[in-house]
Amino acid sequence: MPDPAYQRLTRERVSNQFVAVAAPRISLWLGSDHLLLVERMGYSETCKRFHFRDIQAIIIQESFLRTIWNAILLTLLGICLIGLVASVLLGAVTAAIVWLFLTVLVAVPATVNNVYGPGCTCRLQTAVQTETLGSISRVRQARKLLEKLRPLIAAAQGQLLTPEEASARMLESVRGQPPVIS
Amino acid sequence: MNPRITCPHCRTRLLDGAFNRQKLVPCPSCRTLLEIEVFPALFRGVQPGESAEPVMVEGESSCFFHPQKKAVIPCASCGRFLCALCDCPLGGEHVCPTCLETGKSKGRIKVLDNRRTRYDALALTLAVLPFLITAPVALFIAVRYWNKPGSLVQPGHGRFLLAILLALLQLAGWAFVWFMA
Repeated sequence: MPDPAYQRLTRERVSNQFVAVAAPRISLWLGSDHLLLVERMGYSETCKRFHFRDIQAIIIQESFLRTIWNAILLTLLGICLIGLVASVLLGAVTAAIVWLFLTVLVAVPATVNNVYGPGCTCRLQTAVQTETLGSISRVRQARKLLEKLRPLIAAAQGQLLTPEEASARMLESVRGQPPVIS
Repeated sequence: MNPRITCPHCRTRLLDGAFNRQKLVPCPSCRTLLEIEVFPALFRGVQPGESAEPVMVEGESSCFFHPQKKAVIPCASCGRFLCALCDCPLGGEHVCPTCLETGKSKGRIKVLDNRRTRYDALALTLAVLPFLITAPVALFIAVRYWNKPGSLVQPGHGRFLLAILLALLQLAGWAFVWFMA
């Protein structure tokens, strides 16, 4: 039974999908006062804690993940469709069934890939590090995480900033005036 | 410290217009789509570290590690008196650097524990593998590491129990095959 101290935020995901066997599996967990990034490699587990009071920024960068998978899957889908049409035209029933099965096999992940929405790389910044949250790969997933984290970070750091406040404080700090936190 | 947010792609410093919009906005330099949420901690100044005060009055409690410095708090673990410099606040408690080091190396302080070996998963994998040697090894690992702390996020002895059960079943199977032969 999972420790009630931690609530799972994301499923385990390999940090690099193209070398899945050798890459660590990453997941994100929610603790009482921190976010826990768990990296599993073989039978060892390494954790990194990010306390809510220390989180400075979360940066979502749109990536080409969906485009890459679309290119791969739609190419395969095209091949399968050509095979399917050819076998139907030639009247080869068995081949048509095989091609239909393959078409469905490729069409399902292609649909799922597009339903999940655009891909992204999500980074978490503190005063001393910027960590990539490897288990988050879609913009929608990152926004869900932000929705969950906002009230917790607000409870630890005080009222969150509006876009205007954030921009104003950033500009103030560049001008060399120490920003005042109310 | 200057708050600094840079575009992860082109490393340009972002100044305004891109923060807390809750939508993807292009980087002004490289046009990479970014959604940036900044929090008040970004603008918080760095807190200066405490400096220890010297002992002014004879007989005043002094730090165990720095006898010439005034003690301000006892260590929650060993009870030694600590000056402001040696006081390490940790999860609401105050400990000395020695206890902190010992606690970390022996895995006693949960907050500092950041690496675990998942013996339960190892035992389960071995119990599933259908080789004669793997079942006894799985049993050994399950018994030997029963009390070792397991995964931080998925603790419990469920996998150990399953590993023991599967290993025993496998051994029974091997014994049956041997008798039949």
